[in-house]
Amino acid sequence: MEKVLITGIAGGQGRLLARRLLENFEVCGVDRVAWEGHPREVAVHAVDLRKKRFEDVIRTEQPTVVVHMGFIRHFRAGASMRHDVNVRGTKQLLDHCVNHGVQSLVVLSSSYVYGAFPENPYYMDEDSPLSASRSYPEIRDLVEVDTLASAFLWRYPHIRTCVLRPANVLGYYVHSMIGQYLREPRVPTVMGFDPMMQFIHEEDLSEAIALALEHGLQGVFNVTGPGEVPLHTAIRETGGRALPMPEPIMRPLFDRLFRWGLISYPPGAIDYLKYPITVAGDRFVEATNFRPLFSLEEIFQSLRR
Amino acid sequence: MAAHGKSGLKEVLADLAGALTPLSVRGLQQECEERLRKVPNAINEFGFDGYGMSPEWLRRVALPGILLYRWYFRVETFDIERLPHGRMLLIANHAGQLPFDGVMLAASLLLEAEPPRIARAMGEYWIPRLPWVSVALARAGTLVGTPENCVHMLENGECVMVFPEGVRGINKPFPQRYQLQHFGTGFMRLALQTRAPIVPVAIIGSEEQQPGLVNLKGVGRLLGMPAFPITLGFPWLGPLGILPLPVKYRIYFGAPLHFEGEASDEDAVIEEKVEQVKRAVADLIERGLRERERVFT
Repeated sequence: MEKVLITGIAGGQGRLLARRLLENFEVCGVDRVAWEGHPREVAVHAVDLRKKRFEDVIRTEQPTVVVHMGFIRHFRAGASMRHDVNVRGTKQLLDHCVNHGVQSLVVLSSSYVYGAFPENPYYMDEDSPLSASRSYPEIRDLVEVDTLASAFLWRYPHIRTCVLRPANVLGYYVHSMIGQYLREPRVPTVMGFDPMMQFIHEEDLSEAIALALEHGLQGVFNVTGPGEVPLHTAIRETGGRALPMPEPIMRPLFDRLFRWGLISYPPGAIDYLKYPITVAGDRFVEATNFRPLFSLEEIFQSLRR
Repeated sequence: MAAHGKSGLKEVLADLAGALTPLSVRGLQQECEERLRKVPNAINEFGFDGYGMSPEWLRRVALPGILLYRWYFRVETFDIERLPHGRMLLIANHAGQLPFDGVMLAASLLLEAEPPRIARAMGEYWIPRLPWVSVALARAGTLVGTPENCVHMLENGECVMVFPEGVRGINKPFPQRYQLQHFGTGFMRLALQTRAPIVPVAIIGSEEQQPGLVNLKGVGRLLGMPAFPITLGFPWLGPLGILPLPVKYRIYFGAPLHFEGEASDEDAVIEEKVEQVKRAVADLIERGLRERERVFT
């Protein structure tokens, strides 16, 4: 049985994936925090990806497969800390993969890297430029991670590398930015804007990652779920109440509240509430025959309070 | 309790509005609802298609457009049964300062075509930046006019409406009415790429709805607008000046044109095909002008 190492295994998505991969793999994982009550057969190491101890884990565990999803996606830790963990952590991990005989690698990026812009076409394919840093500098580390992984894909063709860019992930366990946003008691929106948003359920994303491993995918793939609805429909269907705010008030307000640490949404995120990022998932479906099991209705239901 | 009272008031108002609406208007509304139910678009369980178009939203706002169509411009269509099924590009002349011609063409496809179709307009790049307007246009089926969007929609079997004259056509002065301006060539490459038939369309009437005297392009540029037309009514009559004259609209549909070739062909090859389409539209315009006796009836 092959051994898989999952970074960020203690996060919601990591835990789901670990349970899913136990069917076909021996599973181990690392995270900066502990996973209380993890399954007995899963070895969990509390290490920092940037530290020497991480290399020791790879050397002793000797995984042949690595799934990289150990990113800081929130903004509570401070920008430079976040950037360092995500970008330097990824760089270290890629080096270890080369040096310690890893054969396949999946990096979990996100469709946010394309950036939310008024001129975005609908259903962008994987060759669209990664422009997120232009309007949302706070997540430029995620763009850099994606770029590092894509460059790695071409530089080391003997390692099967797959970069996945899923649409908005929702579910009971996953701590996605969009999930946290939709769970707010009053959900702030930009008055007069209602972009289309694609959603995928956390279990379906785990399945997609498992399929990518099963098929030995190499390349960059968008991953989409059952469909898309306008933002306000998503808010209503998850049981929330929208709080539309005029943009000239919202921008300075969010800017200050974010700087004072009162909210965890940087002002750059506002564009994601105005303009759509929709991606085409055809390439992934053709390669793996992936079919999402959860409907939009069920995805929204999983967030109901 | 308060919420209950409010909804009660709403119902009373709705009943009152219903009672005061003439039967003929209610009939139009019903007709529109029936037609919207028959459009072939894929609508998800929340009432939207993949681009944010919503028949339910259209149902609620279509009435003014339909009143304009039936009672104000009294639109008459010719040969609309020539429309093919599935994907197509409608190529029409553009005039009248404000795009009532686009709205009327879209309304004719909804009200007269079998099956009813949603005409997808390709919008300007700055539209998504406008609050409310951007949402309204998206719900009505308009998308930003990027080539990717157009290809995606054609491959999905949509009916895309293009005015290749653009601003050159819509804001031209009155003496140039029914003289086709330069046609852009983008639509032809998209048609070749997606193997979509092209349906030439002539809109007669729009070119007299708002006689333009002169287009002050410099002023428009200063104000950040695509054009600044001086017309019989604008800006002298203020907001009233943007109302179109009650001309009669006649919309002629030509036989679908199928083109062979590559989207990457040289400009000269593409331009020759565009010229054929332009000639087809010009022929339809000529026929329309020959057949009509008066502008307003």
